[in-house]
Amino acid sequence: MFGNPLLLVALALTGTIAAWGVLDTAGLAAFAARVVALQFSSRAWFIMLTVSFMLIVSLGLALSPYGRIRLGRDDERPEFSTVSWLTMLFAAGMGVGLLYWGTAEPLTHYLLVRDYDDSRRTADVALFLTNFHWGLHAWAIYALTGLVIAYFGFRRGCPSLVGAPIVKVFGSHPLARGAAWFSDLMAIVAIAIGLGGSVAMGVFQVKEGIDALFGLQGTGLGLTLGIFAVLCLSYILPLTVDLGRGMALLSNTAMAVAGGLMIFILLAGPTHYLMGGVVQAVGEYFTSVWVQGFRTFTFMDQRIGGWFQSWTLTYMVWWLAWAPFVGVFIARISRGRTIREFLCGVILVPTAFSILWFGVFGGVGFYGVLNSDLPILEVVQTNVSGVTFYVLGQFPLRFLTVAAVVAAAFLFIVTSVVSAAFVLGMFSTGGDLNPSVRVKLTWGVILGALGLVMILSGSIDAVKSIIALGALPFVFIVLLLVVCLLKALKTERPPARPGRQEARP
Amino acid sequence: MSDLYDTFSNIVVFAYIGLLLWLYFKPARSDDEDPKP
Repeated sequence: MFGNPLLLVALALTGTIAAWGVLDTAGLAAFAARVVALQFSSRAWFIMLTVSFMLIVSLGLALSPYGRIRLGRDDERPEFSTVSWLTMLFAAGMGVGLLYWGTAEPLTHYLLVRDYDDSRRTADVALFLTNFHWGLHAWAIYALTGLVIAYFGFRRGCPSLVGAPIVKVFGSHPLARGAAWFSDLMAIVAIAIGLGGSVAMGVFQVKEGIDALFGLQGTGLGLTLGIFAVLCLSYILPLTVDLGRGMALLSNTAMAVAGGLMIFILLAGPTHYLMGGVVQAVGEYFTSVWVQGFRTFTFMDQRIGGWFQSWTLTYMVWWLAWAPFVGVFIARISRGRTIREFLCGVILVPTAFSILWFGVFGGVGFYGVLNSDLPILEVVQTNVSGVTFYVLGQFPLRFLTVAAVVAAAFLFIVTSVVSAAFVLGMFSTGGDLNPSVRVKLTWGVILGALGLVMILSGSIDAVKSIIALGALPFVFIVLLLVVCLLKALKTERPPARPGRQEARP
Repeated sequence: MSDLYDTFSNIVVFAYIGLLLWLYFKPARSDDEDPKP
């Protein structure tokens, strides 16, 4: 373990950030906010251009003859059936974030948009902005990163490392090796900090759920830390023994609970209203998504500029932070698929699901705001973590649904931390597919410490800034990976269309 | 935001985009010609 410089530097770097955060949480949060604000002001255009470029490259590759290239040997076939593959993709995308933001995000945007446009279109715009953050652009970031890992891993025999394609394409020149090493390091930092943020968000939500379940008031930091301690104990066991399919089972259970909850809300709530909202959101999304991908709000006032930085830009770098982690997972389950199948499946299917999810959870929030006197908007302004539970409180079987969200959020965090500790162990040991228990446990502790830092920061805005700080360098790395992929594809000869003669000799 | 920082920060981005374009169009290494694993 101590003979591996990458592991040592990665542990030292993430450990230092965690220690700084524990000792001086406010200092770290203020530093992160300052650096991120400077970077976002200066490079917003570059971040938006990058994410739109990734979507365009993904669609271009899917439609081009290169889309017929298989991720593996030419005669290989997919390991999983299409249905179970798509289900697993849902599991990758259905993180705790969807549970947290389902109602809260559309309503938060609504509060801003209504000050600029007081018509009933306000809800449409708010829902569109939410779908934009969780839609094609987000999944194109994941898909392209996953495609690079899958293509170089299954077709070119590289280890599943972020830096491996750089060495493969540009050779073992010291500069290329240095860039690969730095990319691996930055991927580790981005994953660790990004996951710390998710842990915090999940713990905030579980705490609000428990408050709602038992009618507790003012439980504060004590209960939050108690939940965090239980969470740490829950992921230690899966890190020390190989639970094999057990983890997949836990993740699928969480997903089934979340999916069941969505169906319950759809059927128990105003179904025609929610379905109307979903259909309208589909049209709104696909007509405006391209323009929005290039929108930098340069000529708008400072309030919109601030909103753009703390939402759109933060989300985009957040997806970039998660990209190596989710990319490895979706690459591993996609061996034997063609590039076209891979890109279409990874980008389109979860986007469609996100639109449905926010249409239902956002729609039910809008129904409460526009058709009743419920103080939902006040709840959004004062306690964003509790919005989901407030909405569930208006439905029958309140105790059951709130308990289900708490359980699903908890399961999502446990499975995410265990998978992330595995991926971090793999990345930091040169692509070892079976990292030792000691390495996984070490990462488990670092992830816990980073989660604690985010919890102590006490605000979701501080969490967002710290995540963005860890993810910003990855904007540069992901573009280099795309260049590696495009360069490698230039040397491929795309297979002929099935049933058609080879066009070239 | 300081103008100097802004200028420097964006020059880094321009230089990086230039580097990526150069890397993309640079001839591939000879051992990359055979794509099979």
